[in-house]
Amino acid sequence: MSDSRLVQADRPTVTRRSFLKVAGTGAAGGALLAMLDARQAPAQLKGTSLRVILWSHFVPAYDAWIDDFARKWGEQNGATVRIDHIPHLELPARYAAEFAAGAGHDLIYFAGQILTGQYYRHLLDLSDLANDLGTRYGPWMPSAKSAAQVAGVWYAVPDYFISIPVLWRKDLFESVGRPAPKTWDDLRVAARLLRPKGHPTGMQFSHCNDANHNWRALLYCFGAKETDPSGQSIELDSKETREALRFAKALYDEGMTPEVFSWDDASDNRYLASGVASWIHDAISAFRTTEDTNPKVFRETYVLPEAAGPGGTWNVGEPNVWAIWKFSKNVPAAKEFIMAVANSQKEAMGASRGYNMPFLRRRYDKPMPGLGQDAKLGTLQEQDKITAFFGHPGPMTPAAQEVLTTFIVPDMFTRVARGASIDETMKWGVGEIRRIYAKHKAA
Amino acid sequence: MGHLASGGGRSPGASLSVPVGGRAKALPWWRTPSVRRYLFGYTLLAPAVLYVGVLVGAPFLFSLYLALSDASVGAPVARFVGLENFTSALETGVFWTAVRNTLVFTVGAAVMKGFLGTTLAFLLVQPFKGRRVVRGLVVIPFTIPIAISVLGWKWMFDSQFSVLNWALSGLGLIGEYGTPDWPVWLGQPMLALASVMFVNVWRSFPFSAIVLLAGMTSVSPEIIDAAKVDGATFMQRFRKIIVPMIAPILFVGAAFDTVFTLSDLSIVYLLTNGGPDGATEILPTLAYNTGIRGGALGRGAAISLFLFPLLLPAMVLLLRTLRRRQY
Repeated sequence: MSDSRLVQADRPTVTRRSFLKVAGTGAAGGALLAMLDARQAPAQLKGTSLRVILWSHFVPAYDAWIDDFARKWGEQNGATVRIDHIPHLELPARYAAEFAAGAGHDLIYFAGQILTGQYYRHLLDLSDLANDLGTRYGPWMPSAKSAAQVAGVWYAVPDYFISIPVLWRKDLFESVGRPAPKTWDDLRVAARLLRPKGHPTGMQFSHCNDANHNWRALLYCFGAKETDPSGQSIELDSKETREALRFAKALYDEGMTPEVFSWDDASDNRYLASGVASWIHDAISAFRTTEDTNPKVFRETYVLPEAAGPGGTWNVGEPNVWAIWKFSKNVPAAKEFIMAVANSQKEAMGASRGYNMPFLRRRYDKPMPGLGQDAKLGTLQEQDKITAFFGHPGPMTPAAQEVLTTFIVPDMFTRVARGASIDETMKWGVGEIRRIYAKHKAA
Repeated sequence: MGHLASGGGRSPGASLSVPVGGRAKALPWWRTPSVRRYLFGYTLLAPAVLYVGVLVGAPFLFSLYLALSDASVGAPVARFVGLENFTSALETGVFWTAVRNTLVFTVGAAVMKGFLGTTLAFLLVQPFKGRRVVRGLVVIPFTIPIAISVLGWKWMFDSQFSVLNWALSGLGLIGEYGTPDWPVWLGQPMLALASVMFVNVWRSFPFSAIVLLAGMTSVSPEIIDAAKVDGATFMQRFRKIIVPMIAPILFVGAAFDTVFTLSDLSIVYLLTNGGPDGATEILPTLAYNTGIRGGALGRGAAISLFLFPLLLPAMVLLLRTLRRRQY
């Protein structure tokens, strides 16, 4: 170290090239910050066109809102904005095709399946935007970094996450003398008492998104960890995981019917809205569907942010983040659009009827749009404190993403619920996960 | 080439002049009739070869390249890993479940389509009032976009609102909702596999019937009548006259159907996505979830390439049998 300092001391500390580089970057950064601060779009946006890809939101009103927002934003800035909405499960295939072609949308969106770690070499560094948003409305929730950062660099900007709380029927719980649930044990007891009365519970034991989130929530609440905080070492093989599997088996035997093996993401919504379910573990879209289709059941449906377990209270959310390809043809407009949506977060959250949960702490100032005015949903206004994402407590690495998309965790729970031994299941599941991590490590 | 030396008013003593010992001037080889015929033929064939090369050959070679590398969706230029992706797939239990399900799915569906398609073809070949309308109606399942028809079946197999279950329950053939006698079509392993097979059969057997029908209408009625006069039973006529005569069409139809079924991703992906616990996992869904959704392109490509050795023997067998019958 000392040698290098001596060598450097002999050289000019600022070369002409480095001076120009620093000055140029500073000027550009300053201009961007000034522009962002003034909330004005740069003049070069005029006459340009911006292509954005988004998922088809579960709340159609939100899609209508963002389309209208984009149109108005385009008019204000003299740009043309086109938003393509496609089903979230089709997004990864679309991105693979766009990347292979080196052309596509200027602004892209990872919904649920976070591919930041896969594509970061080909995504723009968006640290300027993320840091600015952090300063304005932050700090960011720690788990936001997991979805958007690689090696400390923001290659994506978190937009919102979907929370998946417990939706339970107060009238049914009271009918068997049970108070409002607080823990997973409370839920299990209620399900055991209510199933014989025709009101079982249900969580998906199948290959769908909800199965991935729900069983991970149970795992984390029992203190189980998928990896260490660095995401390098697998820690699923633990006594906590075994306890969670044992609990799930009992919950299934006592409180569910075999229907859960066939469920998709919307089956539990219908289960609640039909009046059969005693409780479900799902996004508030189920709450809204019930509000619209079965007012009687809706009146008795309440919301618990998450049930507590022996390892704490962890809700597993579904993250959504913005990203920009390096080959994007309209980077300035894409960046501007991200900032414009982020600055309109309250309107966006209202349009989603409280569905889009912010990643930024100061956005949790009460009352939150869509939640704060509602006596039942108001309980979700501190969801930032209990939310984790897949891979917890590690980041959403490509390996964690592959474990998610191959449904290994839900399959472990399915096997145990169907009578497989916990030891055999652990051996199989952890073996599959180890194989996936080893492959990614080697690559 | 010889030529006539004199014109029409030939005088006595004039003679026909023919070059003696001269040879016909040879054409360049590329202008000979046989070469020109070949050139013409290959020129006509070229678009098809180009089409297959670009749209089938190139993707196949690219997937081979991916399967031999550690490519991921974000890093398609990757290092060579030999057969590692293939051995890695062979080591996982899910892969073998997918292979088993793929074979059961393909063979089971083919047998059912063969049986139902043949039956339907025999019904449709009979003369009856409104036959044209019925022939048009039976191909509807094949013509509806697959996503729409599969979503329709998803509703019919729904665990709670299945119209099949409510109808069967109303008829007293199964138990009531919430009882163990209430089938969960997409949730019980055997039923789930049978259900996805059923949708494939429902969608494709009209195609089999139409192929058979086309063959059957080409069989001369005189031959069938002669066989009837000779006392041949229905099964004898079918086995010894109709099947041998329409064999080439049957083989081509079977080849198409095998390829379509073996590589069918949509039905399983939309109905169960391979669940529960791999009960309906087939090679195309496993390859898609690993390679595209999971981002491991190399391993996904390797899994999908396992379809090739499954398909190749079937295709070779079918085409060889077809060729033997043709000559």
